[in-house]
Amino acid sequence: MFEPGGDVVERDDFCSLAPIGWLHHKMQDSFFLVVGTGSCQGFLQTALGVMIFAQPRFATAVLDEDDLAGRDTLTALLPLAKTVVEEHRPQAIFLASTCTPEILKMNVAGCAAPIERETGVRVYPVRMDGFDASYTQGEDHVLAAMIERAPETDERNLVVLGCLSAVEEAEIRQECRAMKLPAPAFLPAESALDLPAIGRNTVLFPAHPYLQGACAYAVRERGCHAPAVVFPFGPDGARAWYEGLAAAFGITVSYERREQEAWGACEREVSALRGRRIAFCSDALLELPIARALRAAGAIVPFVATPSVSKKFHALELARLDVEVLERPDRFTMFARLADARPDLVVANLNIANALEGMGYGVKWSTELTFQPIRGFAGAPSLFALFGAALRRHDALATTRAASGAQANPIDLSFFRAPVAQTVA
Amino acid sequence: MKLTVWSYQAPGHLGVTKAASSFAGVHTILRAPKGDGYAAIMFAMFERLGVPPPMTVVALNEATLAGAAADIGRAVLDVDQRFNPDLIVVTRSATAAVLQEPLDGEIGMIPAGTVGAPILQPSAHPVRDTEISAFAKTVREIVDHFAQDGHPRTAQPSVNIIGPSLLGFHDHSNVESLRRMFADMGVLVNAVIPLGASADELRTVGRAWLNVTTAYELALPTLELLRERFGTMYLTDAPYGEAGTTAFLRDLAHMLELPASRITHAARGARLLWYARTVDAHALSGKRVGVFGTPAAAAGIARVLHDELDMSVAFAGTYVLDHGDWLRERVRDIAGEVLVTSDFADVARAIDQVRPDIMFGSQMERHSSSRVGVPCAVISPPAHILNFPLGYEPFLGYDGANHIGDVVNRTQVLGLEHHLIETFGPRGQGRFAEAAPEGIEAAPAPAPGDLRWDDAAERLVQRIPFFVRKKARANIERYAREHSLAMIDESTVLAAREHVGG
Repeated sequence: MFEPGGDVVERDDFCSLAPIGWLHHKMQDSFFLVVGTGSCQGFLQTALGVMIFAQPRFATAVLDEDDLAGRDTLTALLPLAKTVVEEHRPQAIFLASTCTPEILKMNVAGCAAPIERETGVRVYPVRMDGFDASYTQGEDHVLAAMIERAPETDERNLVVLGCLSAVEEAEIRQECRAMKLPAPAFLPAESALDLPAIGRNTVLFPAHPYLQGACAYAVRERGCHAPAVVFPFGPDGARAWYEGLAAAFGITVSYERREQEAWGACEREVSALRGRRIAFCSDALLELPIARALRAAGAIVPFVATPSVSKKFHALELARLDVEVLERPDRFTMFARLADARPDLVVANLNIANALEGMGYGVKWSTELTFQPIRGFAGAPSLFALFGAALRRHDALATTRAASGAQANPIDLSFFRAPVAQTVA
Repeated sequence: MKLTVWSYQAPGHLGVTKAASSFAGVHTILRAPKGDGYAAIMFAMFERLGVPPPMTVVALNEATLAGAAADIGRAVLDVDQRFNPDLIVVTRSATAAVLQEPLDGEIGMIPAGTVGAPILQPSAHPVRDTEISAFAKTVREIVDHFAQDGHPRTAQPSVNIIGPSLLGFHDHSNVESLRRMFADMGVLVNAVIPLGASADELRTVGRAWLNVTTAYELALPTLELLRERFGTMYLTDAPYGEAGTTAFLRDLAHMLELPASRITHAARGARLLWYARTVDAHALSGKRVGVFGTPAAAAGIARVLHDELDMSVAFAGTYVLDHGDWLRERVRDIAGEVLVTSDFADVARAIDQVRPDIMFGSQMERHSSSRVGVPCAVISPPAHILNFPLGYEPFLGYDGANHIGDVVNRTQVLGLEHHLIETFGPRGQGRFAEAAPEGIEAAPAPAPGDLRWDDAAERLVQRIPFFVRKKARANIERYAREHSLAMIDESTVLAAREHVGG
């Protein structure tokens, strides 16, 4: 029973509340009301860099001891929701339940309808707890909650699922026009009330690899068609994504030339990656498609560590990737693998980014990947440039250090008890 | 439930983690949902650690809700074997506490002899305790765990410094400043607690002659513990400012029976009181300031600004509610008002109403002040990445006094330039419009009531240097009232100047 190691310790994860950071920017008329502990509030304050006087459109209803002792949830929550409506005038409130309400079996979701009645503002109940595999799945839950309220239709329409930037949406619209597909509706749109119709003839096409829950929910509840996709990262991914989209409407198109043009357009960025070794130790669930795109660009990917793999939702990506995938390894397993693989660059999250630099690796901060416009043909140069820039910077600073003979010294924490075998030469 | 967008203090488990992880050889196991482990990110980012912080999150997940055990036993064994720590601290976040998992039971089931390190479960309450109270209690409990009786006092006069930690406010610099000062005094630093304190240092913590602190609110339980166990006396007030540091060292020299001449030696690089005498600093006299932060920082800084720079403390305050009275005691004679609140909006309102010339506060007050055009210096946590400087920026001791002087100097609005712009007419016209510095207000509206100023008189009064203009205006109006004049014109101004000055 007490064997060391195993799967319970030393992973580096981010909270599923994090997507509020980009979702509240995307949906300008929304407000995220998080029901949780001081810890949730502290996380939002720390991670999302609350700019108080920019009127943040999120707040935490912090549970107190009365709530823990079983006070009626709606009685406690309704006045707070009314305050939010008065002060922020949102068109919609996302009422987010977190770990503690789930443990206490508080009926936060059940408060949505009464609050909506009382305030006249739409309320989407969302589970944004931290039990999930990946922090990005907070977005999955938000979109599922919105799908629940989406109107029904029998029309053959197209809904692109996932929070995208305006430039990414513009490309998808343009390509759909070119292929004579129905004009795409996007979920989420800029208004939290703007919901696309979804029915049994709808093609639901995910743009992110972390939306399996929302897709499965829509298929189950509306009977829509949500095919497995290759996600639109890199020219090869974009080509496959668009060809898959056409195929879902029974059209055969070849984007082979389009892909070639796109590779040509990012030749400068790609040339910085050829032959470079890039390993993934991050937790965004973007690891599979981005690793696949980097390999297509000529980089060597020794291994990919990712929080979880869905055999079904990620099937096409897995088929194309052909490198070893480590599902939920602990920190020290990853360190050991890195010591073997000796990559030029490690894609890692904030928890361990500096520690990896301290061990001598070059690091690309992974969280940035979730909110950069790096999808589609137009996003490909930006995608590759992120990694090229990180490599160039690492190389340039190494040259400076080598020429001067100077070290890069972090603050002296030699009093920490160093675990075994952490340092690479 | 309370609607919260921002708070001064992090939850209790972060205080526990911050305290425990700051000791050498202590490893923290946190039972929490993965998101509650963001303390690890704060360690990594703010301290720019080149290694993973000595903490391990045992994540609570769907399986837990379905009834799976916490596996704390396995985590303890793993941490013990991997890090060989001197102590393992097992704690949980509020969320995990709600689940009421029998962690004691799981720890109790670890077969005897399999884990080398002792295990400590801190008493801080995950909901009721705040970051600061949880930190203070945990430091005490860890010190109590290691401290051994029977070690004689050191041969040389010595102190323990209680309070500095990882993620502490300018703590690396503060410790360096205090070390330099104590070296000058011929005083040995026995241990710095918790920052880097090893098991060996803690075992002999009773060898110190005296305990001192960088932050009263973080240190009190430990100071009390060491007094109870070893009879060690302590100084409660941290050394802020030059006069403040000298007073601190006088007390220290008295208690350690050291010659006062050593203080002169230690103070040789101090420049704050001289800066206060220089012409550059004359303008600080009577400038109204607000001070808000931890009790130690607010009390220390308010005293420096008032006693050493002759500024006027409109209000002083703290968000650590338990220690409001402690602060009140220290600033009673100098602060117009004492504000004890944990709601940033109360402080923002005070800044807006009082409109101090300079605000001294936490990062939140920096935001609140900038919104109303008040310059603000950050002198207290909650901290920001900017409060983790690469260089040497102490707030304590003589070097800290110099730094405080620099901070004041850099924060006030542009001294002479401000004066010139104000003196030579309306701020920026044409292409110079953008050259006007921030924070300079438009000319005040003519006085209300029965007195009116004509344009020529108003123009004239605008030529009076800004720092005496208010007083001059009042003098002119008093002169006008005494002479029953309803309209102030140029001649009134000149006459008033002639008769009452200003």
